[in-house]
Amino acid sequence: MPVMTMVQTIARTLHQEMARDESVVVLGEDVGKRGGVFLATEGLYEAYGPDRVMDTPLAEGAIVGAAVGLAASGLRPVAEIQFADYVYPGFEQLSSQAAKLRYRSGGRFHAPMVVRMPSGGGVKGGHHHSQSPEALFVHTAGLKVVMVSTPYDARGLLRTAIRDEDPVIFMEPKRLYRAAKDEVPDEDYAIPLGEAVVRREGGDITLISYGASMVETQKAAAELAQSGVEAEVIDLRSLMPWDRDAVLNSAGKTGRVLVIAEAPRHASVASEVAATITEEVLDELLAPPLRVTGFDTPYPYAQDKLYMPTVTRILNAAKRALDY
Amino acid sequence: MLNKTESAPPRANTVPVGHNSRNRSSARRKPRLGARIEPFSRDPIALTSEDGEWLGAFDLDLDAETLKALYRKLLAARLLDERLSVLLRTGKVSFVAPAAGHEAAQVGIAQAMRAGHDWIFPYYRDIGLVLALGLPPAELFAQHMATAADPNKARQMPCHPGSPERHIFPVISSIACQVPPAVGMALGAKLRGSDEVTVTTFGDGATSEGDWHAAVNLAAAQGVPVVFACENNHYAISVDFAQQTHSRTIADKAHAYGIPGYTVDGMDVLSVYYVMREALERARAGHGPSIVELNVYRYGPHSSADDDSVYRAREEVDAWKQRDPLLRLRRLLECRGLWSDDEEQHVRADIKAEFDRAVEEAEASGAPPAHWLFDDVYAEQPWHLMQQAECLRAEL
Repeated sequence: MPVMTMVQTIARTLHQEMARDESVVVLGEDVGKRGGVFLATEGLYEAYGPDRVMDTPLAEGAIVGAAVGLAASGLRPVAEIQFADYVYPGFEQLSSQAAKLRYRSGGRFHAPMVVRMPSGGGVKGGHHHSQSPEALFVHTAGLKVVMVSTPYDARGLLRTAIRDEDPVIFMEPKRLYRAAKDEVPDEDYAIPLGEAVVRREGGDITLISYGASMVETQKAAAELAQSGVEAEVIDLRSLMPWDRDAVLNSAGKTGRVLVIAEAPRHASVASEVAATITEEVLDELLAPPLRVTGFDTPYPYAQDKLYMPTVTRILNAAKRALDY
Repeated sequence: MLNKTESAPPRANTVPVGHNSRNRSSARRKPRLGARIEPFSRDPIALTSEDGEWLGAFDLDLDAETLKALYRKLLAARLLDERLSVLLRTGKVSFVAPAAGHEAAQVGIAQAMRAGHDWIFPYYRDIGLVLALGLPPAELFAQHMATAADPNKARQMPCHPGSPERHIFPVISSIACQVPPAVGMALGAKLRGSDEVTVTTFGDGATSEGDWHAAVNLAAAQGVPVVFACENNHYAISVDFAQQTHSRTIADKAHAYGIPGYTVDGMDVLSVYYVMREALERARAGHGPSIVELNVYRYGPHSSADDDSVYRAREEVDAWKQRDPLLRLRRLLECRGLWSDDEEQHVRADIKAEFDRAVEEAEASGAPPAHWLFDDVYAEQPWHLMQQAECLRAEL
């Protein structure tokens, strides 16, 4: 199996999906001749031409809105937002149109579309190239939300997202675009939405994370193992819907849970997961579920590395949970 | 193209002007439609006079039956507006967006479209438009009364219909929010090689939204088959046209996108029909989008929650009512001996009876079931919605 980076895997998967189904079209800023500023759409323009790989004007409201109309017309648009930080002009179209079209038409219209966006920090990009706005999408009924952490998952989940009948926000941690490498099988496999994966088994504490924070989470789990603490590591992958059973089973098993993500804490995915654990399996807990998150500040520039959950921050929280 | 000099003061939109009056008397050979309707006229294009005289330089090519059917649609739109107000007063409808004064614009747009083939992305004041496109009155009343007969499952407030069968994209409240998806639909038609044209309508206020500009710009850049039809009633709730934009007309904005812009007397259904036909056929032939500005006036308040007396004078409203779109076409029909008081009474009674039956039918279906609340959020119900539906069941 070839070893591929996440961004190569995404381009390859888009290529294969466009070959499989000619209703799949790609649109966004610089996705055509340039192949995307991160090269996530590299080679598509040459293969499929300007009609199916469309360089749009620089306007996210038009990109997302056009995707809604394309989807309603029977096509399968995959829109790229150049950075998640620039989705806000398109948020109106996501929230008011894409998310609600099925509901407000009594199920007679729907918008099968994917909106891909690089998200998260760690690339010295300041707040407007680093944010993790997934909670905004999770909070918007009608959207499905995915954040991948491996090339293997990127392929399996992007396939599922493109073939799904609902709008899917597909978030790609940009600091993993080239850092994450996998052996990625070329065959047609798909990973269902809403299914978490256990990355490491353990009985002492559960570490739940997703996206780029999976890197620090797994490092923390390795360090805990050196001191004799076996952590179970769960990668949520899908944030809406999310895998309640996998989370509650592990929480019930270990009784101690950390939920780790680099997004700000208030009203976050981490908060939702922690609250659900408390509501559902309180009797089985040995410590309150703890959140390890980014801070409730705008994303900083100079203190980039201090903002995101570090291994130290995760280990400090683990100590608190284990000592409780 | 107009018999006016640049230095002449701008004429009020209230004054219809034969856009081609200079050519009218001298035109021996009637040129083909399309060669005659030019964009960016100084004054609104008006093809009939206030007293029902045809001013067009080309032949009025609609036969007597079509002209009478158009008038019937104008009447139906007006009577629907009146009926909705009655339903509001009796508590059967929670909200209305009065459309009286917009009938010629709405019926004219519908007439220019291939109903059920071309797509409409309407806004909330377009009840007469969807009726003219063939949306059954019972479905429309069920939508307004939010009963179980609403095929959209009573999910939207009144004045928000939608129908996949009739290619009517569900109305959305957010201003200009339908415009980018309309461009997407047109883009889809282009990619699929279909000859469907998409029409999207909106008020003057919508042209200030970022999404409006973004969508028009994308449509122009990609040359997609879409027509942007503005029902310019000169007020966005209370904010008048001068406060909304410094552009002389909405049509002028088309210059910036490199597409044609037409400003039209929207109180004349025939002007609306011919200009829209031109814009639609242009789009269908692959020549891209246009902006069509229909100068209308809403006789009523913005909505049932608005009091328009605080921001506009009664005299202004009354002056516009003198230019009523129903009267205009009726005079044209009468000039040609095609209409009588008897016929008027007969058609009114007919429409009234149809609405009576439709209201009854819509009402008889009763309130929608509580469990509809949780359907259609996603293609399949995820676990958290099952849990929440269970929670509601326990409350009932």
